[in-house]
Amino acid sequence: MHAFEYVAPHSVDDAVTLLQESGDAQVLSGGTDLIPQMKEGRRRPPLVVDVKHIPELNELVYDPVEGLWLGAAVPCHRIVGNGAIARAYPGLVEAISLIGGIQIQGRATVGGNLCNASPAADSIPALIAHRAVCHIAGPKGPRTVPVEDFCTAPGETVLEPGELLVKIHVPAPPPNHGGAYQRFIPRNEMDIAVVGAGAALVLDERGQVIQQARIALGAVAPRPLFVEEAGAFLAGKPVSEEVLEEAARLAREAARPITDMRGTAAQRKHLSHVLTRRVLIQAVQRARGEEAGRRNGHV
Amino acid sequence: MRAVGSSIPRVDAVDKVTGLAPYPGDIDLPGQAWMKIVFAGVPHARITRLDVSRAQAAPGVIAVFTAADVPVNEYGLIMPDQPVLCGPGSTPQAQIVRWEGDHVALVVAETQAQAEAAAKLVAMEYEELPVVTDPFQALEPDAPLLHPEEFPFPYGQRDRRSNLLLAYRLRRGDVEAAFAQADVIVEAEYRTQAAEHAYLQPEAGLAYVREDGRIEVIVAGQWMHEDRAQIAHALGLPEEQIVVRYPAIGGAFGGREDMSVQIVLALAAWKTGRPVKTVWSREESIIGHHKRHPFVIKAKWGATREGKIVAAQMDVTSDAGAYAYTSTKVLGNATLMCLGPYEIPNVHVDARTVYTNNCPSGAFRGFGAPQGHFAAEGQVNKLAAALGMDPVEIRRRNALREGSILATGSVVPAGCTALDVLEEAARRAAESPPEPPVTLRTSLDASRRRVAQGRGLALSFKNVGFSLGFPEHCHAWVEIHGEAEMERAVVGCVGADVGQGAHTVFAQFAADALGLPVEKVELRVEDTDVTGSSGSSSASRMTFMAGNAILGAAQRALQAWEDEERPARAEFVFHPRPTTPYDPQTGASDPNITYGYCAQVADVEVDLETGHVLVKRLISVNDVGKAVNPQQVEGQIEGAVAQSVGWTLLENFVQENGRAVTQRLSTYLIPGVADVVEEIVPVILELPDPQGPLGARGMAEMPFIPTAPAIAAALHDAIGVWFDELPITPERVWQALRERQP
Repeated sequence: MHAFEYVAPHSVDDAVTLLQESGDAQVLSGGTDLIPQMKEGRRRPPLVVDVKHIPELNELVYDPVEGLWLGAAVPCHRIVGNGAIARAYPGLVEAISLIGGIQIQGRATVGGNLCNASPAADSIPALIAHRAVCHIAGPKGPRTVPVEDFCTAPGETVLEPGELLVKIHVPAPPPNHGGAYQRFIPRNEMDIAVVGAGAALVLDERGQVIQQARIALGAVAPRPLFVEEAGAFLAGKPVSEEVLEEAARLAREAARPITDMRGTAAQRKHLSHVLTRRVLIQAVQRARGEEAGRRNGHV
Repeated sequence: MRAVGSSIPRVDAVDKVTGLAPYPGDIDLPGQAWMKIVFAGVPHARITRLDVSRAQAAPGVIAVFTAADVPVNEYGLIMPDQPVLCGPGSTPQAQIVRWEGDHVALVVAETQAQAEAAAKLVAMEYEELPVVTDPFQALEPDAPLLHPEEFPFPYGQRDRRSNLLLAYRLRRGDVEAAFAQADVIVEAEYRTQAAEHAYLQPEAGLAYVREDGRIEVIVAGQWMHEDRAQIAHALGLPEEQIVVRYPAIGGAFGGREDMSVQIVLALAAWKTGRPVKTVWSREESIIGHHKRHPFVIKAKWGATREGKIVAAQMDVTSDAGAYAYTSTKVLGNATLMCLGPYEIPNVHVDARTVYTNNCPSGAFRGFGAPQGHFAAEGQVNKLAAALGMDPVEIRRRNALREGSILATGSVVPAGCTALDVLEEAARRAAESPPEPPVTLRTSLDASRRRVAQGRGLALSFKNVGFSLGFPEHCHAWVEIHGEAEMERAVVGCVGADVGQGAHTVFAQFAADALGLPVEKVELRVEDTDVTGSSGSSSASRMTFMAGNAILGAAQRALQAWEDEERPARAEFVFHPRPTTPYDPQTGASDPNITYGYCAQVADVEVDLETGHVLVKRLISVNDVGKAVNPQQVEGQIEGAVAQSVGWTLLENFVQENGRAVTQRLSTYLIPGVADVVEEIVPVILELPDPQGPLGARGMAEMPFIPTAPAIAAALHDAIGVWFDELPITPERVWQALRERQP
């Protein structure tokens, strides 16, 4: 690895100042993406700003009214290990639980997963489905960006020079809310998604009519893909196999995958359909409180 | 309690779990320098100029070595067709790069970082040569030639105007006449892929000049004395000038049978006078060592209505890659193994291995038997389906038994237990019918509603020890200490413990023969000075060979003890019964010393929407003759099955135009713990091999072999599709399901 400067500021302001002054500094959170990239010489930042000592970035607070505040430097294991959060957002937590393996979970952060901006990132479709919003600090002051607008291209985000992702806010789940995330990989663990699908929806009191729904896909476009039309189609419709199937078909239509080593475009289109249907079924079951078996995606 | 037959803890267990056991990469020597090997990075080219001046001038650089610095610039386990370093200033053949992983320069520097930085400054000028990567195209008359030059070829005359490395044939009876009388004939083309060993420890090692003036190479390999011979040959030194030492070895599976860093470390240490160390990255390991052979096998088999197999015609082609490595030996095995463990009266096999610009192919657990059996067992299962016959019954009617004549015309060695493993597998399978699909396994399962289940069976055999006339032997000595009573014993035998537990087995045999507790047996296993060659830790041979050698030495030492020698010391060289090479026209031979037998039953579940395959249960019945350490035997069975499930369902070493595409473990997918079969049922049979030490047979490759055809048969049972190409990925299953739909 090359020689570089390392600073660990204790406040958001200090971090922003450092990032602004350096220009090509890299933010270090869990480091599970950045450190391998630096070891292989793919990134050679002159300055590494370690944000793990900044209190706001370590906040993990869930309130049934306010929702979830998820600091950008909170490692996955803290989220996955939090029973209240897992009960409130099973679809989000199962996405987070699929990132890397057990050891990686101890370091990797959702904030890092977002800022790395991989089209196949597991947490992002689930965050989009759950209406999450990014809270950003920067030289021009704070701003907020919906997660679906945060990534702009593979490895690229809306962050301007000097800007820092501080935390992510996920609204409180309304009554009769259900969410799910699934990904397809050829093996059963520790792999990059061939396709990932996240869904969250709200049913009426009787659990029969879909009031609102959001669906997002991973690994089928240059950035995580918010399939707004599929969710909009479901809004106001009674739950049935046919409407879930139609939403899944819309997700398949929206997917614009490429062929690469992990899968062909045709397979990814097909999996977009299958996974969307499956996460919708699971989300409905959860909204009705009738899900059997496990909650998250781990064995 | 006798030492042989008990699951004593491994002699290396504590050191390995506590991290004390030194692997080559863990070892440092005072004053050591670091070496970086520069790979060619092009698959076929003539190097016109190699400019190392900038690298030589870089900070910390001690020396840069090129082809001109290698005394005898050739090496190879079977034939010396590979330059140690490619480039000008050496032999004509060394000017040509034939593989992207060819070595072109060695940069030795004070630190690892300096060696790596300077290696990037080596400038190679070259003329590109046409690349051939398909073995069938490589056999075309106008194909680019990889090896037009002369080198010592151990199989008679080689046509230097062809990329054909070697061809074998087997002829028995009259297949045409037999096909004319067969009631059913099945034909298929089987394809298997290149595969990476993915052992835990990438290549690493050190070399230094000892105080006695000899060069010591500390490395992880499979056969110390062969490493020593190849190092000595390339350096133009007598073998006595070289010492090869194996510390702990992090897996091998055949992948360390050929040279990687051995020769170049010795060269660098010798030329610089400094201890020199090198450690490959995972990517260098994946690019830089050989792979399992891809095979294409065209098969046509016929049987009578009664299920008697009457004819087998096989056309077998393997991609040898750029250099011979063990391709001719793997071909020798595949030529016989593609017929499975069956007595077939009419046989016609044409087999060949062909040079291409791909990564060299070589030894990998099973050594041609997995590829051969994928075809043979696929054919038997298809015949059973065509006849409407139970897959066990058709095998019962054709399997080798005592006195059976092989296609080579020789009698199968005594102790043939193909039917025993078959019947036990059938019995175990009948006892445990497939379970309904209730287990949740992946993130997909919770909402997975459309699944199909199936069960499949396969039977296999595999030679123990080197084949076809190879002069097999193994050295050992035993030294008994004490006065009136035996106090302890020392055993010298340098067979490599590549992680399979060989050293524990050595101690168990010695303790058993001498009547001592295992703790009283001290092992001398460390280097080539201890004793003569033990042969390779491959071909499932080490327990068989070293066991016989140690028992022989122990008996003689006991005699010396009786004769009041103190310490009582004796040596023994075990020579198994000789084998003979294939007759070039007919394949007539006595090909192998003996065989091990394995039958497996696989239960699979297929996700009908995604094509994802889950192996729920795998029953593996292995006749091991005598389980020297039953726990280790079970470990070998479970490890082999896990590895074979990877080969069957996931792993694929992809190359494009002679360049590795899957260079990392993030793109070359090996099974994770969640991918290993949910329930592996290891079943050990102990039907003695009359030639084995206390009856033991080799066993470590055998449970790899039937897994792929058993899973393929289970998939056919589940969804009615035959998969004849590996790996059977979800995408291929999904495509097959899509094509099956109206």
